[in-house]
Amino acid sequence: MNERLTEQKSIYLQISEMIETDILREILLEEEQVPSTNELAKLYTINPATAAKGIGLLVDEGILYKRRGIGMFVSKGAREKILSKRKAAFAENHVAPLLAEARSLGISKEELLTMIGERN
Amino acid sequence: MSLHCENVVKTYGGKDVLHDVTLDLKPGKIYGLIGRNGAGKTTLLSILAAQNPASRGTVTLDGEPVWENRKSLAKICCSRELNANAESGLAAMKAKEYLRIAATYYDGWDKALEERLVKLFDLNVKKKLGKMSKGMLSMMTIIVALCSRAPYTFLDEPVAGLDVVAREQFYKLLLEEYASSGRTFVVSTHIIEEAADVLEEVIILHEGRILIEADTQAFVDSAVHVSGKIEEVDAATAGLEVHHPETVGRSKGVTVFLKPGQRVDGSRDVSVQPVSLQRAFVALCGEEAAR
Repeated sequence: MNERLTEQKSIYLQISEMIETDILREILLEEEQVPSTNELAKLYTINPATAAKGIGLLVDEGILYKRRGIGMFVSKGAREKILSKRKAAFAENHVAPLLAEARSLGISKEELLTMIGERN
Repeated sequence: MSLHCENVVKTYGGKDVLHDVTLDLKPGKIYGLIGRNGAGKTTLLSILAAQNPASRGTVTLDGEPVWENRKSLAKICCSRELNANAESGLAAMKAKEYLRIAATYYDGWDKALEERLVKLFDLNVKKKLGKMSKGMLSMMTIIVALCSRAPYTFLDEPVAGLDVVAREQFYKLLLEEYASSGRTFVVSTHIIEEAADVLEEVIILHEGRILIEADTQAFVDSAVHVSGKIEEVDAATAGLEVHHPETVGRSKGVTVFLKPGQRVDGSRDVSVQPVSLQRAFVALCGEEAAR
């Protein structure tokens, strides 16, 4: 929850990703309450509507759920859900740009695999 | 409830400062009013608050004209940068007298908040306005706006005299007041980047005309910076709304405003990057200056 916002991406997406990352790192635990939109708004100095949009995204995906009159909570199984979502997006978000950069530098697939092997 | 102005024209000495401005301010939002110097921001705010008559056009609150309407005026507060020079007659007035007078204007004046803010800003209210620094006068502007509790509150350049810490403090106070009251705020500022994330809606005024009135995020998301080899950039952005071209040798960069459904041709060898509200604003309103 204490990462800084950047200009590279919509603020509401950053808010939802930060909450996800906190769930992955077990800073926020399942069945635990998450900060309210007004708390997030004040913390990041952003409009509450933006914070609400970020939280809304996680509610739609079943990662957070609303307890009437109390606030938003982390769903059971949220961590597992985020893990599988991020794994599914890994190829697109990380492997594709890696290959694109390798291609423009003329690094062959074999060289690339060797580099990865050497890292382990 | 809404504050509405329709076809508002303001003429000073035969010159139109505002041309046919139509605007609808919905309750419970924070609007940002941005524009270059002389764009007409202060004139527009003072007309909306009925401190200044429109040459033509109407301003209504919930369907009732605001001009010389006591009931509407109590619901609108326009807090401007204080000008405490000899001509304004404010120089000899003590800050606390000024606040006392302001309190009598607004039925809902929040005295407890006034005391809290005076303490928070560490203001000496026994000081005469003429002896106050620019920063202190900005704090006075902010105190009047927040404590007025007016459902429609305009802050004209509230942060101009403040340092970066005080500016951040102001935006947090604004959000706090907004969250607890649901009032409508219109903030005009030159320091766009810091305000961008706080503003739900953005209104861009340029040469007396409203150029953009949109959800801030949607507006920022609609703008991208495209750069690369001149021919590639031209091909990738053909048929799109292109602003602010800059070229260096064979390289070119442009800011593109995408309409719904439009996109930059991704098959071209170009870099496509997001832009900030400030960059989008400069691309839109700074073209004459760049030429």
